[in-house]
Amino acid sequence: MEQTWEPKILAFLCNWCSYAGADLAGTSRIQYSPNIRVIRVPCSGRINPLFILKALQNGIDGVLVSGCHPGDCHYLTGNYIGRRKSSTLKRFLEYLGLEEGRVQFSWVSAAEGGKFSQVVDEVTRDIKKLGPPKHFVKHVRSS
Amino acid sequence: MVQKKLREKAKELLSKKEVDLIIGFGEGTQPLRATPIFIRTPEEADRLVWNSFCENNLAAYLHKFNRFKVGIVVKGCDARSVTALALEKRFKPDQVVLIGVPCERMIDRKKVKKAVKGEILKVREEGDKIIVLGEGVEVVLKRDDFLYPLCKACTHRNPVQETLLVGDRVEEAALTEPNPEAKEFEKKSPEERWAFFEKESSRCIRCYACREACPMCYCTECFVDSSNPKWMEKSLSPSDLQFYHIVRAYHQTGRCTNCGACERACPMDIRLTYLTQKLNQEVDELFQFETGVDPKALPPLSTYKTDDRQEFIK
Amino acid sequence: MKVKPLKLNKKDFQSFLKDVMKDHDLYAPVRLAEGVSIYKKIESQGEIDLESYNTQKPVKEVFFPQSEAMFRFDKVEDRHRVTSTDEVKRPRVVLGARACDIQAISLLDNVFLGKEYTDVYFLQKRTSTTLIGFACNHPLSTCFCASTGGGPFTREGSDLFFIDLGETYLVEPLTEKGKALTQNKLFAKASAEEIALASDIEKKAVKKSDASLPLEGIEKKLDQLVESRFWDRVHEKCIGCGVCTFLCPTCHCFDIVDEAVNERGQRVRNWDTCLSSLYSLETSGHNPRPTGRERTRQRVMHKFNYFPKNFKKIACVGCGRCILYCPVNFDIRQVLQDIKDY
Repeated sequence: MEQTWEPKILAFLCNWCSYAGADLAGTSRIQYSPNIRVIRVPCSGRINPLFILKALQNGIDGVLVSGCHPGDCHYLTGNYIGRRKSSTLKRFLEYLGLEEGRVQFSWVSAAEGGKFSQVVDEVTRDIKKLGPPKHFVKHVRSS
Repeated sequence: MVQKKLREKAKELLSKKEVDLIIGFGEGTQPLRATPIFIRTPEEADRLVWNSFCENNLAAYLHKFNRFKVGIVVKGCDARSVTALALEKRFKPDQVVLIGVPCERMIDRKKVKKAVKGEILKVREEGDKIIVLGEGVEVVLKRDDFLYPLCKACTHRNPVQETLLVGDRVEEAALTEPNPEAKEFEKKSPEERWAFFEKESSRCIRCYACREACPMCYCTECFVDSSNPKWMEKSLSPSDLQFYHIVRAYHQTGRCTNCGACERACPMDIRLTYLTQKLNQEVDELFQFETGVDPKALPPLSTYKTDDRQEFIK
Repeated sequence: MKVKPLKLNKKDFQSFLKDVMKDHDLYAPVRLAEGVSIYKKIESQGEIDLESYNTQKPVKEVFFPQSEAMFRFDKVEDRHRVTSTDEVKRPRVVLGARACDIQAISLLDNVFLGKEYTDVYFLQKRTSTTLIGFACNHPLSTCFCASTGGGPFTREGSDLFFIDLGETYLVEPLTEKGKALTQNKLFAKASAEEIALASDIEKKAVKKSDASLPLEGIEKKLDQLVESRFWDRVHEKCIGCGVCTFLCPTCHCFDIVDEAVNERGQRVRNWDTCLSSLYSLETSGHNPRPTGRERTRQRVMHKFNYFPKNFKKIACVGCGRCILYCPVNFDIRQVLQDIKDY
């Protein structure tokens, strides 16, 4: 049986919107790519760029950061700050040569179970096309 | 002559006790170098020099002396660093007296070294010429051919903020487009770009000269030293070297003034400014921000606009 | 043993190295970028760079790597397993080291091969390595080896000593190890002219190297200055990076960390610098060397007072790297002169 490579994608989901949206996708029994591993954060503004870099260094195939739509942030302005961090980080990583599409961002609200599943499917498709990461991954020898 | 005026101003400030000490440049112990000096009496003011080798960003010392009232000799880029540090509340507003010197652009000493065979024993500046004396050889170089690349692109050679100005203002006319190395780098393909970055960072010996020379790197616990969480190791694995350079550059987003102190400090001649130039380009394009120009403009990553660009977000 | 100088034609140098590389791992300066070189294991002769004056990272790296895995650990079916790291498989030859760097290795022997404690990692490399020293025909103005009790032609510590005469090398086998490498028909007896020429070059080089800062008595002087106000201004320009410590041939501090993920990984030792504020920071938060003043004082005292107290030699070989590469032109010669004058 041929085994195609299944990417492992880390999804940082903000507690109030995106995580709830993901939850809704689940309760609505919507099928979507099983490739994400979710980390719940209070707000998309919580994301320290070091999280994304550390994940990439550990060998993750892709990263998704998802938060509330602008104007809907539970903490009022967290996602605005997160947006600025995201844009600068994404552009910088792509400037260095890390493939475009390996780190992605989305706004998913608590009511958008459908959108969440679409986003995950899209991101998974993009990462599958890119293949496993070629650069930056650290392998610690143990023997 | 700027040097004479600088010494006079310093004498004045120190005799009137308007500052506790002045941070400036003194004669280096090697050709092509000037060295930071810290003077506290009017008599010491004669140690101050001003030449094309005053490359360090002295704002890096403000953290060490933030309990004193300090006079600091600044070029245009250094003055912007001081403004950026003031925004980050690194010292009280009246604590720093900026002795601004309009900059005639600094010389790339590493380039001069490479252009002359054998050891350089003495260097003299004469107008637009640099006269280099080696062992039994004298080479005359055109100053304009050996300017530090970032200095050529500089559009703030006159200190934007200054308490005192020493010397006449110079014309703000950049010799190249802004952020030239970033623009050059962007022309490469993604694979080429990563290969270049990997090659440059592979020489790194984690001495942190770049970090310590930078005025904006002042965290008591740097991310490299964090053990909980431990972001990265201190070994020379290629991945950790890349991690360090990516993050150190990224931490300068909206804070870097393109002074080049990091690159000039590196003993392994690692190219670094192409990294921070990209981030400076970004904050300009995305947020219309330039570090240290407007003392009231908040650092871009600490604020927001409701209509910030988000075309990259699904 | 009595030295019988030999000669090697430069055009035979490549063949000599080829023979050496048959059963030795060869370490020589390798150019990483223009003006930047370090000692590395040579895979092909084209990598060797003997043109640049001196490498950035000194020869100590061959015996005491900047980053060295001490052992590795993982799990095999729920049982923990520890494996030792790559042992030295073949004898090594270090080529192209200057007298200063080689003298420094002898100083490091005091630290790593002490009477009560032997560092196995260092020992293994040390005993399996033959050192080929290269005489320094053109010391730089920043070289003050002559002031530290050495000199550009100091042979101490070398197994084999090469002097560049232009078209040929004069080769002095100084130990049995060194002699073993010259059992090669490429070597011939040196002529009287060649020996005289070498002596002439040596005289010129020794004259050029900076002996203006004799350091006898520096230890005693520093004894008087421990709590002195002298240190208040010395440290001011130091930015506390690690350039001088990492590029110094005699600096030897290191930190040990475990790099592991889920019980699998390795224990690594990395060079450390006493000029970092973290170096002496204790878990409680107390730092016995809280500011640059204490740290700069410590560095100078260690090299010129504590080390001589322990081992009767100053821990500086006058290579001048700290002067050349310091980002703020902190000059140890100036500090030493100030100490002598204080």
